[in-house]
Amino acid sequence: MKNFITTYCHISGDTCSLNGKVLATLDTSSEDGWLKQLYRYSRQTYPKFYKMDMLSQIGYLASGFIKSNHVTELSEYADDEIALVFANRFSSAESDIRFQKSYQEQKAPSPAMFVYTLPNIVMGEIAIANKWYGENMFAVLPKFDADWYVNYSQILLQADAKAVLGGWINISEEKPEAFVFLVEAAESGVEFSTDNLHSLSGID
Amino acid sequence: MIYIGAEEIISPLGTNAEVNFSALKADVSGISLMPGAGFNHTDLHLAKIKDLDPAQSFEKLIVTIMNSLSERIDNSIIRSDRTLVILSSTKGGLYDDIQDPFRAVNEILISGFQLAHVPVVISNACISGVLAINTAGNMIKAGLYEHVIVIGCDVVTDFVVYGFQSLFAISNQPCMPFDQNRTGVTLGEACSAVLVSNTTSVFKQKPYSLLTGTSANDANHISGPSRTGEGLYRSVKRTLEKNAVQAEEIDFISAHGTGTLYNDEMESIAMDRLGLTAVPLNSFKGYFGHTLGAAGVLETAVCLQMMRHSTLIKSRGFTDPGTSVPLHIVTETKSAPLKTILKTASGFGGGNASLLIRE
Amino acid sequence: MDSLKEDLKKQIIAQLNLEDVQVEDIDDEALLFDADGLGLDSIDALELIVLLEKYYSIQVTKPEEGKEAFRSINSMAEYIRKRKAESVL
Repeated sequence: MKNFITTYCHISGDTCSLNGKVLATLDTSSEDGWLKQLYRYSRQTYPKFYKMDMLSQIGYLASGFIKSNHVTELSEYADDEIALVFANRFSSAESDIRFQKSYQEQKAPSPAMFVYTLPNIVMGEIAIANKWYGENMFAVLPKFDADWYVNYSQILLQADAKAVLGGWINISEEKPEAFVFLVEAAESGVEFSTDNLHSLSGID
Repeated sequence: MIYIGAEEIISPLGTNAEVNFSALKADVSGISLMPGAGFNHTDLHLAKIKDLDPAQSFEKLIVTIMNSLSERIDNSIIRSDRTLVILSSTKGGLYDDIQDPFRAVNEILISGFQLAHVPVVISNACISGVLAINTAGNMIKAGLYEHVIVIGCDVVTDFVVYGFQSLFAISNQPCMPFDQNRTGVTLGEACSAVLVSNTTSVFKQKPYSLLTGTSANDANHISGPSRTGEGLYRSVKRTLEKNAVQAEEIDFISAHGTGTLYNDEMESIAMDRLGLTAVPLNSFKGYFGHTLGAAGVLETAVCLQMMRHSTLIKSRGFTDPGTSVPLHIVTETKSAPLKTILKTASGFGGGNASLLIRE
Repeated sequence: MDSLKEDLKKQIIAQLNLEDVQVEDIDDEALLFDADGLGLDSIDALELIVLLEKYYSIQVTKPEEGKEAFRSINSMAEYIRKRKAESVL
C-alpha cells in the first residue's frame, strides 16, 4: 500500500488550521496568550502543558489536533509503530535565550528552563503524552526541506514504523510557524511525495 | 554492505585518532580541575581542549577535522553530489550565535569544501552521534548517497556547565561511571569524525562493517532515564534482531555510562533484560567526559581504534560495582580479539539508540 | 493567615508555571509531589531550590536536603524559618 499524508495541522502566529480548514484564530481581546488559547480550545487536561517551552507546546497541540481528528484511533498502532521526524531552522534558540537570561540577568540558572534547551525535547513530550516508544529524529535545516522528510520517513516506513508524525516547528521572534503532518499507509489522502508535502506545508 | 572507518578524533587527549588511542592505552584522562569554571566561580572538573580559543571554536574544530579526515580518504568524494555531510551536535556555535547556532558552520563547510549538499544537523541530545551514524548507513542503503561524512562536535560553554549544575548533575570528582561512589557527569568537549560508505576503496586504512541499528524513546521523562531501561532495551533488542546478531556474538559494549546515579543504574537494568551482563563493557566518559552531541561519534571512533589494535580499554573511574545488576565492567586494559562491538547511547528527551560494528 | 505560607504559594505558582492553580487550591498539608497534591516532579524540586535562593537567600547544596523540606507548604515554611533562624547571630 502507498503512503499518504492523511491529516495535517498548521499553527501560525494567529491561526490554527487542520487539513486546511481554520480551527481557531487569535482572540486579541483575551488575557491568555495564543498557545494557551489553543490549549483551552483543545479541551485537553494536561497540566504539564504550562511547563513546556513554546516548541513543545506547539508540538503537543498540533499532534493533539491531528490525533483527535484522525479517522481511526491512532492507538490502533502498536506503541512503537509511530515514528517522530521533526526539524526546524533555529534549534531551541527561543528557550536557549531564556535560559541564558536566567543566569546572566537573574543570576540563577533555571533547571526547568535548561531541560528545554534541546530541540528534540518536543518529541520527548509527544512520546510521553502518548506513550509512544518509536523512533525519533530531530534535524536542524536551513529551511523546510520536503526531500529530507520524504527520504528519511521512507527509510523508517520501510523498516519498523507504520506511521510517521512529521513536523516543522520554527519559532522566530516568538512567532510560531508550524506544520505537523501524519503519514501512513492508507486508502486515501494526499500522496506522500516531495511536491505534495512542499505544497501542503505552505512554506516557501 | 555498509562500511565505516577513517575515524578521526580531536579531544583534550590529542589532535588525531592514534594519539588519542595511545593516551587511552596509557590510562591518561583529559579531565582536570578547572578553578572558577562553575557558576558563581566554583571549581569543577572538565575535559577541555587546551588552548582552544572559545570564539568560533565549534566551527574551527569542524574545519580542522574535515581537513584531517580528507587525508584518510579518497578526498575527491568530498565534493561529489553522492556525498552528504551530517553534523551531530546539541548546541553548535551557540557561543557566537545563540539565535542561529548552525548557520556559520554550514556556510563555512559549503564554501570551504565545495560541498554539493547543505549539511544536515542532527540534534537529538546525547544520542545524536549514534543516530547520525545510523542515518548515514540507512541513507546509503536506500541509495540516496554513496558516502556520508559524520562529524560529532560540542564545546564546553558556561551555558551547558551552568545548566548541568542547576540540575545538580555534575560530579564533584572526575566522573566514575558505574562505580558505587559516582555522583554525576563531568562535561567534556571533542570533535570526532567517521566516513560511512558503500565502497571500501575510498578508505586509505581498512574499514569495518557498520550494522545500522534503531532508536527508541522511553516515553517516560524529558530529563530522567526510565527506571526500567525500556527504551534502551527496545533499541538494542531490535538492533540485534534486525542484524541477526546473537548476544553471545558481542565481544564488547561501549555503553553510555555518564556517571549519574540513575543513568548507569538504568543501563544495568536494560543490559540485564537483554542478557548482556556477561559481555565486557565500559564507558569512555572517564577519559573524555561527557561530550554530549559528539559522544556517539567519538566513542564509535574509539571502538574502531580498539578493533584495529585488538585492545580492550578499561572503564576509567570504576572501582566498586555500583549498579543493582552487576555488569562485566572492563577493569584492565588488555589485548583481546574484537570482532563485534555494540555501541549504545541514551539522552534527554527520552532517546536511546544503538549500532553494531563488525570486523 | 500565615503570610509566609501565603507568599510561598504565590511564589511556587509563579516559579513553576502552575497556571491553572490558585493560592486557595493549595492546602498547607497537601503533599506537593503526590499526584493528589500538586503532582510536582524532580525538575520542580530543583526549581524550588532556585526559589529558596531567589526569595529567601537560602542555599541548598544537596538536593536530598530539599526532599524532606519540600513535602508540603507546612514543611517548607518550617524549613525556611529554621534556616533563617540559623543565619542570625
